[in-house]
Amino acid sequence: MDFELSKEQAMLKKEARNFLEKECPEELVREIEKGDQGYSPQLWRKIAELGWLGIIFPEKYGGLGSNMLDLMFIYEEMGRAMFPSPHLSTVVLSGLTILSAGSEAQKTELLTRISDGDLILALAITEPDAAWGDKALDPEGITVQATAEADDYVINGVKLFVHDALIADKILCVARTQDGKNAAEGITIFLVDADATGMHRNVLKTISGDKQCEVVFKNVRVSKENIIGPLHGGWPHVAKAIQHGAVLLCAQMVGAGEEILRITVDYAKTRVQFDAPIGINQYVQGHCTDVVSDVEGCKYITWQAAWKLSENMPSGYEVAVAKAWTSEAFERACLAAHAVFAGYGYTSKDGVLPMYSRRGKIQQLYLGNSDYWLKKVAQQLDTWTFERPEGKALGFWKTSPDEEIPAWKVWTNEDVLEV
Amino acid sequence: MEFGFTEEQEKLRKEIREFFMNELPEDYEPGFNNMMGEEVQDWWIKFKEKAIKKGYYVPGWPKEYGGSGFTEIEQSILDEEQGRFGVTWPDFLGLHLVGPSLMMFGTEEQKKRWVPPIARGETVCFEAFTEPDAGSDEANIGCRAEEDGNDFVFNGQKLFISGWYEPTWLFTLARTRDIVPKHRGLSLFLLPADLPGISYRPLSTMGGGRQNYVFFDNVRVPKDNLLGELHRGFYHAMQVFEFERRMTGDAAGGKRLLQELVQFCKETTSGGKPLMENPEIRKTLAKLAMEIEVQRLAGWYSAWRFSERERVGPAPYELSNYYAKKYGASHAKAMLDILGLYGQLATGSKWAALAGRIERMWKVTRSLHAGGTFEVIKIVLARRGLGLPRIPGNMMKAIGEAVMKKV
Ligand SMILES: Cc1cc2nc3c(=O)[nH]c(=O)nc-3n(C[C@H](O)[C@H](O)[C@H](O)COP(=O)(O)OP(=O)(O)OC[C@H]3O[C@@H](n4cnc5c(N)ncnc54)[C@H](O)[C@@H]3O)c2cc1C
Ligand SMILES: Cc1cc2nc3c(=O)[nH]c(=O)nc-3n(C[C@H](O)[C@H](O)[C@H](O)COP(=O)(O)OP(=O)(O)OC[C@H]3O[C@@H](n4cnc5c(N)ncnc54)[C@H](O)[C@@H]3O)c2cc1C
Repeated sequence: MDFELSKEQAMLKKEARNFLEKECPEELVREIEKGDQGYSPQLWRKIAELGWLGIIFPEKYGGLGSNMLDLMFIYEEMGRAMFPSPHLSTVVLSGLTILSAGSEAQKTELLTRISDGDLILALAITEPDAAWGDKALDPEGITVQATAEADDYVINGVKLFVHDALIADKILCVARTQDGKNAAEGITIFLVDADATGMHRNVLKTISGDKQCEVVFKNVRVSKENIIGPLHGGWPHVAKAIQHGAVLLCAQMVGAGEEILRITVDYAKTRVQFDAPIGINQYVQGHCTDVVSDVEGCKYITWQAAWKLSENMPSGYEVAVAKAWTSEAFERACLAAHAVFAGYGYTSKDGVLPMYSRRGKIQQLYLGNSDYWLKKVAQQLDTWTFERPEGKALGFWKTSPDEEIPAWKVWTNEDVLEV
Repeated sequence: MEFGFTEEQEKLRKEIREFFMNELPEDYEPGFNNMMGEEVQDWWIKFKEKAIKKGYYVPGWPKEYGGSGFTEIEQSILDEEQGRFGVTWPDFLGLHLVGPSLMMFGTEEQKKRWVPPIARGETVCFEAFTEPDAGSDEANIGCRAEEDGNDFVFNGQKLFISGWYEPTWLFTLARTRDIVPKHRGLSLFLLPADLPGISYRPLSTMGGGRQNYVFFDNVRVPKDNLLGELHRGFYHAMQVFEFERRMTGDAAGGKRLLQELVQFCKETTSGGKPLMENPEIRKTLAKLAMEIEVQRLAGWYSAWRFSERERVGPAPYELSNYYAKKYGASHAKAMLDILGLYGQLATGSKWAALAGRIERMWKVTRSLHAGGTFEVIKIVLARRGLGLPRIPGNMMKAIGEAVMKKV
């Protein structure tokens, strides 16, 4: 057990913070929220130069070969800076899917272009019907059909809440190619050009100002060459990318949470009402301790999940508890901060809290909200067993349940007082 | 960064687990050792000998005091396994508070005199701090220790003092001078529990454990029972509370109970279906697992931070205790709710689920204020951890007087 960042990790995080403080001020974020693109092409180029776009790809694909922990520290800083970009869509969700499923040729071409900043991708999973229930991210929710026709597949259907689809050069569409006994079988990943005939993209207006899209596929033809990974066997690769993405959303909430803690405590110390700083009141102190306890919890549980992923260990449990907890805890922390800022946390122009709060909403919902991941946690519990000697009741380790509680030993001559 | 354990650490954990598995008796029930009769107490005392022989009693202490050279992390692994089995040693206060305090501010002579018996398991220490007018407000202690020749003469009373075994020593705070601010007039003592003039009166509790009144009636306490500096007892006491921070045991106990509950829900059916298939129950269990995981990590954060304290300084925020207080009662409620009407049946009752453990846990979690209320924990976190302001003590006194006059 060791919670300390290595020198290199600390350095990376610090550089990321300095860079984003300089390059991604609040005004830029506000401006990008208003536009359609959801990012700044100049900044995108700059982070390509820093190596952030290839950070987790092997060097042979133009990457840096770093691990998930490094990426997580950068994401913490992205969260703090509210950095708007298609990084998660391109590098993590699409990039990791390709890295995991793609052919050598696909990897060489696509990952190198991503690393160079020449290619923006979006991953289309969720569908309108599944989004109502709890299958938005599950294979059961994949019904968009891709039907074989000669050397092509023809895709029909609607994908929803696809981040950055509008600016993407290509879209990875997760489609059903076969109905199997098991919902996860029969799913294939297609790489669709943005200008493919029959594909339409519409930006939705969101609480967070990020650029989610509806992507409509009407007889969109995709060549078989553009299948990523095995035919009918794409799902496990997508699932893996989702896990990484979910933890990185948590990391963004950690970074944002630390900043919310800082500004909230500062405000509580300086805002004077009733002749004293409001932070002298225990209610306000309680709001501040709510923030710190939730944010610290987010940090530990996110770090653990990222560490497990980075070590390639089984991490189903750790990822699930991380996203389930962080999604709830971050909203609680924001709410407590709102309580402290009161009027000054509601007017949009005054500060960053309303922005953190709004932008946090999608981080909570995206790639599975708390309820979704709690179901995954429960599935992990299904695998738990509690072993005990045969024929013994639970609750006692090795004893029969109807044994008498032994009498209380009283070692003075006084009577026991009833309270 | 590392969220796993080394091979040696895993090996140690396995050895510890096997020790408890093999040595605990057939009829052992976790968390039950604090409310038991003479026979069971005798058993515990024998079991303790085995742990001492094995080097699992004070493993983190320096070798000269009976330690086994455990690192802080190894000690925390032991704590975690003990928490998992619900093992609390009869003298847990000696191990966790008194011994470390002695090593920190005892004189050489005091260390030689007092530490080895604790390490040999010959003692039971009581922490006799709280008084009727000094609960959260420790500085308000009124029990007096007046200097008189070579002695201090104690007069006063303590209450809520936990203890199930006959004590050998009292670890206590007493007023050695009247001064403003009042916390600068306290001193810390370790004294034999059977000095003439000390008497005890038991208090039974809702959760079944035993607390005590302790009365001091002209008790002559030799001066070499003063621990640390005269009048600086309050500061020493604050240090003492630091020793309680390594809390990997709490979450381990919670996780163990959750594992049993999950198993119970798999084996128990209603309407022909296992409880484990009920979506609401699943969600509740998952939420418990998630919160226990955060608590576990906070405990490990504290343990790690404690082990590196000389290098990286004290932790900015102390949260393992916070989570323990925050979740204790809500987890008991959630678990009891899953069992419904069966959950309220007590140990020994026909039909009791999980042998009544959750019923008892629910009662015990009405006492989460032990060792500091949740409110006080939050205030300390706000002030020390976050640097938020406080009303100065002398003004508080004026406010108190003004308010009480009005009432
Ligand atoms: C949507 C909206 C509409 C509004 N419309 C109007 C309007 O039409 N007319 C108008 O006059 N005003 C209006 N207001 C202002 C509103 O009345 C104030 O925001 C509110 O009274 C709180 O004051 P404040 O924002 O300055 O917070 P502060 O008073 O600075 O409070 C900050 C934090 O400190 C806490 N706090 C302060 N003092 C204490 C104490 N003694 N003990 C414990 N905690 C304390 C508060 O509870 C809060 O958590 C509006 C505000 C909003 C958000
Ligand atoms: C099971 C158990 C075992 C115990 N064992 C021991 C023991 O071994 N040795 C020992 O010395 N003591 C022991 N205690 C006593 C325990 O330490 C005290 O109960 C505790 O410190 C709280 O004191 P109090 O009960 O007098 O509550 P009070 O201090 O009277 O508090 C009452 C309420 O007021 C709140 N409050 C008080 N001051 C403030 C403030 N400044 N701001 C906001 N809120 C405030 C508290 O949070 C609480 O909600 C034990 C208690 C229990 C329940």
